[in-house]
Amino acid sequence: MSKNVIRFITILAVFFCLLWAAGLGWAVKEYYAGKPDQAPQRTKVVTKTENQKGLTIVALGDSLTRGTGDETGKGYVGDLVDEIKQKTKRPVQLTNLGINGQRSDQLKKQVQQMEVQRQLEKADVILLTIGGNDLFRGGQGLIDFQSGDIAAIEKKYLNNLKFIFQQIRKHNDHANVFFIGLYNPFSEMDQGKEMSKVIRHWNYDSAEVSAAFPKIVFVPTFDLFELKVNDYLYSDKFHPNTKGYRLIAERVASLLTW
Amino acid sequence: MNKLIQNEMMKLVAKKRLLVIALIIGVLVILFTYAQYKQVQTQREKLGTSDWRTILQQQIVDTTNRLSSSRISDEWKKQLQISLQQQQYYLDHDINPAEPGAPTFMRIFLENSIDLFIPLMVMVIASDLVSSEHSLGTVKLLLTRPVKRWKVLLSKYITLCLAVSLIIAIAGFLSYAISGVVFGYKGWGAPILTGFNVTDEGLNTSQVKLLSLWKFLLMDFGLVWFVAIVVGTLSFMLSVLIRSTAAGMGVMLAALISGAILNNMISSWESAKYFFMVNLRLTDYMKGTAPPIEGMTLAFSMLVLLVWWLAALCVSFIVFTKKDVY
Amino acid sequence: MEKNITLSVKNLRKVIGRKEIIKGLTFDLREGEVFGFLGPNGAGKTTTIRMLVGLIKPTSGSIHICGYNLEENFQAALKNLGCIVENPELYPFLSGYHNLLHFARMLDGVGDERIKEVTELVGLTERIHDKVKTYSLGMRQRLGIAQALLGNPKVLILDEPTNGLDPAGIREMREFIRFLAEHEGLSVLVSSHLLSEIQLLCDRVAIIAKGTIIRTDTVLRLLSNREKMVWRLEPYETGKQILQALTKIEEKDDGTIWTEYNKEKIPEWNKQLVDSGVSVLEMNRKMPVLEDLFLELTGGETIE
Repeated sequence: MSKNVIRFITILAVFFCLLWAAGLGWAVKEYYAGKPDQAPQRTKVVTKTENQKGLTIVALGDSLTRGTGDETGKGYVGDLVDEIKQKTKRPVQLTNLGINGQRSDQLKKQVQQMEVQRQLEKADVILLTIGGNDLFRGGQGLIDFQSGDIAAIEKKYLNNLKFIFQQIRKHNDHANVFFIGLYNPFSEMDQGKEMSKVIRHWNYDSAEVSAAFPKIVFVPTFDLFELKVNDYLYSDKFHPNTKGYRLIAERVASLLTW
Repeated sequence: MNKLIQNEMMKLVAKKRLLVIALIIGVLVILFTYAQYKQVQTQREKLGTSDWRTILQQQIVDTTNRLSSSRISDEWKKQLQISLQQQQYYLDHDINPAEPGAPTFMRIFLENSIDLFIPLMVMVIASDLVSSEHSLGTVKLLLTRPVKRWKVLLSKYITLCLAVSLIIAIAGFLSYAISGVVFGYKGWGAPILTGFNVTDEGLNTSQVKLLSLWKFLLMDFGLVWFVAIVVGTLSFMLSVLIRSTAAGMGVMLAALISGAILNNMISSWESAKYFFMVNLRLTDYMKGTAPPIEGMTLAFSMLVLLVWWLAALCVSFIVFTKKDVY
Repeated sequence: MEKNITLSVKNLRKVIGRKEIIKGLTFDLREGEVFGFLGPNGAGKTTTIRMLVGLIKPTSGSIHICGYNLEENFQAALKNLGCIVENPELYPFLSGYHNLLHFARMLDGVGDERIKEVTELVGLTERIHDKVKTYSLGMRQRLGIAQALLGNPKVLILDEPTNGLDPAGIREMREFIRFLAEHEGLSVLVSSHLLSEIQLLCDRVAIIAKGTIIRTDTVLRLLSNREKMVWRLEPYETGKQILQALTKIEEKDDGTIWTEYNKEKIPEWNKQLVDSGVSVLEMNRKMPVLEDLFLELTGGETIE
């Protein structure tokens, strides 16, 4: 331990002491006096197709996309991806953008987001569930399903759906879009029959809108849940359970081509 | 004075405390680097991509889903909302909030070690500086020189400040050098956003500034340094007041840990914001996360810390110059 | 007074809480003398010494070192003082040289040369670059003295300097202290609870008990007043009666009779004994050790 070592360490320490003090001063100054210089808003979508060899799946929509009610947490999207992985050697990339409780007007906003659009652009397969929350208002059931309210809700919904499809096709003209239809979770309840009627109508109109766009496939699920609905429902009697999701996934899987 | 500081530095170096601290930091950084590396890898596996935009988008959606759950507390909800808004802002402006590379690792390491790890390391030196003279008995020799007592103490305090600066430099250097092996040494110029303001309504982005990472890092270092000096001064005071090094360390440790715990649960106890230990996370203000108690700002926290610092310094000097040595 | 006073203590008092630990000490140290500070443990020696070196603030009274008031002129006063308080606790993780360097830096104008000088003086030149933790206790003691001598002090204060040393070490230390006083002209204040040590080492001694000085005097004078005459007589009873008639006697267990030592009268007493047919087997002049003296001064009567 020579004197020079200690002197060197001391000088080093003094240097850092001053440096950090300067950093502190700068931090305070920047935090309070610095002018906000607005970061440039992202204007164009970066088109970088990095996953060219792989299969890119983008899932949009509500709690069904999220997989709420599935004990394994996968949902029909997860099941489907597992199935695809078994059948193909290509790497599969999944982007699940589903948000619990999302309604069609919220999805309409979501698909306008820059990054979501970029994701859509990359997609080879697009999965979509929407409308359940518009119609059932988050699981509360149809409050007044016979009045004209439903017609108004459906009209709005169809407009949104149309817009969403337009957006998807605008950014991606090659991907197959699978739009999952509604089932009736209330079919075994008092007014199940009336409700089924409403849902059939709703599904029909949705299928009509889908048909107007190329490569958008309406996937019905109404029939899957028509018998023994309670076997396929989660304890909240609204979302599917693991078995229910499995049914949906199988149906979609049978439609996939690549 | 210069000679006295040389003395203190000589003792500091001879005790090899700095080496021990460097060793501890080194081991921890290796650990964190590995953890971070694993995290990145599993994320990549899960999402099948390393594209940060996709990952960030996924995170946003995940956060949104957590927000929709009715089971989370209001407080947590608010924090999530703020981080969500911030993530969205980063995404909208096409800026990667965690540009891969050693500098980013360094930033994350600093931000996470400011309230516990760095103060602990500083404590190792500070709490020993005066009390070790007592336990060795050398204080009797030190104070029977024709040198005023306050000068002796000042030389020790200056040495402490120098040591603190060195510890932070060591932490910075090691976290950069070690993590760089895995993440690469580039990324100093990566853009980063600062100036998010957390208000009652949520996140205010009107003051947001774009900075290069190296500038941001220098500021972070400054703030960490400030916190370390304050904590060091407090342990220094305890070192003067309590003759046993272990007891002084224990008190300080308890304070620091209670701060870390309090941070998570005191949002409703407003006067707790005058404790020094809940004000240690200064770098969070730069990053723009919600403060533990409403109404806390960078200036407020710094002021609180300054008051504690000044009080500790006064107590140290008054006691040391007046105290009878047995 | 032919010699200068180097350390002057006047009416020194220390009160801790409500207890008066030191109750007004007054004494002086002169150039070139070794002054003993003698008292049992807990008498206040260490407290007094700590006040002398500035570690403890006196409640009242004054301390002057070479004319400088310790409280008002701390630095000038301490420049003339070297000390070891209790054990010479040095930094074990530094080498002997670095320890000396450390303390030299705290003194103005003490450089490498002086460090070398004191190292040679205490005979540590060979081991000076080894770490202190490898030193024996005697070496540490010597290093402690070297450290105390660094600043060329006029007054040296040593608290229990022979504590923990082996007999050879004690002897060496004693000779060294005497050498410093006689050849370098230092005033040395030595505290001890070992009376034999003080007796061999000191010129003057202050006896302290329960915070007050009972007596200050030269060792010689303290002892000479208390010289005794030891008689061994045959036959015992007759001799005892004769001596009893002449002076106060003390009977001891070993069959001797002690009387006071009185130059003028001793030959006469002897003559009377011989004349009465008592044979004087042994006649011995006895210098009392400080133990006896101390017991006599403190143990006999209660001080307060």
